[in-house]
Amino acid sequence: MLAALVQAGGSFSRPSVDWHAASPELILLGVGVLITVIDVVWKQRARSLVVGLSSVGLLAALVPVVTLAVDGTPRSMFGGAFVVDDYALIMKAIFLLSAYVVVLMSTNYIAEGDYWENEYYSMLLTSVLGMLLMTSARDLISIFVALELLSIPAYMLATWRKRDLKSNEAGLKYYLMGVFASAIMLYGMSLLYGSAGTTLLTGINKAVSATDKPTAVVTLGVVFVLIGFAFKVSAVPFHTWAPDTYEGAPTPVTAFLSVASKAAGFVGLMNILFVGLIGRSDVYQPLIWILAAASMIVGNTVALRQTNIVRMLAYSSIAHAGYMLAPLAVVSADVVFAGGGSVVVADQALRATVTYLAIYAAANLGAFAVVIAVARKIRTAEIDGYQGLFRYAPGLTVLMTIFLFSLAGIPPLGGWFGKFRVLEALISPGTAWGSTLALLVVVNSVVALYYYGRVAVKMWVEEVPDGDMTPVRVPVSLAAALGLTAVATLAFGVGPGLIGHFTEVSLLAGIGG
Amino acid sequence: MSEFLRSYLTVAIFGLVGLALVGAFLGLGRILRPDHPTPQKLESYESGVDPTGDTWSQANIRYYIFALLFVIFDVEAVFIFPWAIRLDAYGAFGLIEMGIFIFILLLGLIYAWRKGVLRWA
Repeated sequence: MLAALVQAGGSFSRPSVDWHAASPELILLGVGVLITVIDVVWKQRARSLVVGLSSVGLLAALVPVVTLAVDGTPRSMFGGAFVVDDYALIMKAIFLLSAYVVVLMSTNYIAEGDYWENEYYSMLLTSVLGMLLMTSARDLISIFVALELLSIPAYMLATWRKRDLKSNEAGLKYYLMGVFASAIMLYGMSLLYGSAGTTLLTGINKAVSATDKPTAVVTLGVVFVLIGFAFKVSAVPFHTWAPDTYEGAPTPVTAFLSVASKAAGFVGLMNILFVGLIGRSDVYQPLIWILAAASMIVGNTVALRQTNIVRMLAYSSIAHAGYMLAPLAVVSADVVFAGGGSVVVADQALRATVTYLAIYAAANLGAFAVVIAVARKIRTAEIDGYQGLFRYAPGLTVLMTIFLFSLAGIPPLGGWFGKFRVLEALISPGTAWGSTLALLVVVNSVVALYYYGRVAVKMWVEEVPDGDMTPVRVPVSLAAALGLTAVATLAFGVGPGLIGHFTEVSLLAGIGG
Repeated sequence: MSEFLRSYLTVAIFGLVGLALVGAFLGLGRILRPDHPTPQKLESYESGVDPTGDTWSQANIRYYIFALLFVIFDVEAVFIFPWAIRLDAYGAFGLIEMGIFIFILLLGLIYAWRKGVLRWA
């Protein structure tokens, strides 16, 4: 029966592969496989080689991203399921650079902690491969495959401190919630596919926006897909796994989850919203509005009470997910199909979120790098341990202050420009809903300043509790990670035109608006 | 605003129907099934022999790893059968594609073998 079924499938024509467009993914895949081969042949004797190889692989994958960006023409493969445009390229660059910084942060942490090293790096690269695929995925199946490819290694990375109960709890919670979210999302996708008859996002957009009012099936599909992504980006009320997972996972992995994995969730969400569902803004707008508002308020208020810096950063990252979701809540339908001025509104929202993601990535990775560096001496992540840090580690204190104040959004550090773009995107449509959300962003930024400021006061003003003034020794690779993130954070703040130029991206061109 | 509420009402109704279905099936089973517990029926089932120990006994973790390794071949078969039937149509392109696929899967098996997972000790 199977044979008859397959024979009935019609003739096969070889899909044309644009090797240049696929080369970032292929390079990462090649390096990931190579690391496994090296591991199989030499086992843990090749540990130092593997670290270098994964850094080189990530940077090598950046080369075709740059050449593709210089070339500039949008490329499309597999019937439009895999698209390489400016938006995909800027996100690929953000993922590759974030992963490179994570490798720099991991080098000593993983080597000194008696962990499995070769597997760590091949898992990390596999996860990044999923993220790169996600940026180009314009089809429900490729989005889902990319999401699983980036999530499954991340579940394992969260439990990398195998003999630590908290790390086991972190991985298990992350895994169970992640699988639960995947199931809900897959159900939503099946409903969308059922109503559209195609898995291509452009086709889905045509089908779901054909009716004046949303059909019940489409509403359910949209809501379930959004809930799935809300888990991934840890938006309230689907955030419960994040603080425990962030606290228990090895700190470089936490940095990776809170930056790259979250960004990948946003990329998938934006692909689906802007390409697949933009005609159904009446369904997704209210839901995203609530998710954004709740994430900002809950994330910031709970962060006020945290005594552990990793948990504080976890709740702060939930709040940042709220800021990044906010512009998506004003993306409206009339927008594309009315043409003219309102296309600008939707593009502005996309650019605001992409800009915010890039700046948040730099500052948050930097903050976690400082946490790793300081933990090498004080052996704890309690905020009280940071008392008097300035007396014995002035460099780290200055860097931590830069990163925290950038997250808080104080000029001239990068964060203000991200917040500015978000507010601009929220206010320019001139709707009451958008303005209310803008007001919430402003109020929450003030609240956030309190808990970021509290850490700064502990570091700068207070005395060292035990009088131990030995300086913190920062290994070279960690110093490089700190340097890169600090330069990026300052560059975004001082010359916002820099990143502003690269984030002039649009997802709407592809759907004939 | 009422438009928004109406479209989300669908989601609420869907959730309630989901809960009601679970409740209805469990309730229906309770009503229909005969209920005559005997000590033998309450024992845990162990392939017909008298059970030893309690149900919370630990299984060797290696069973789990072997099950995972089995999945490698399982997935391989799912993709290879349809491919093999149409091999003439796919030609050299299909052969290379499947070669890459099998290579990556085999790498997983070789990895497990090198890590000593296949030894039952």
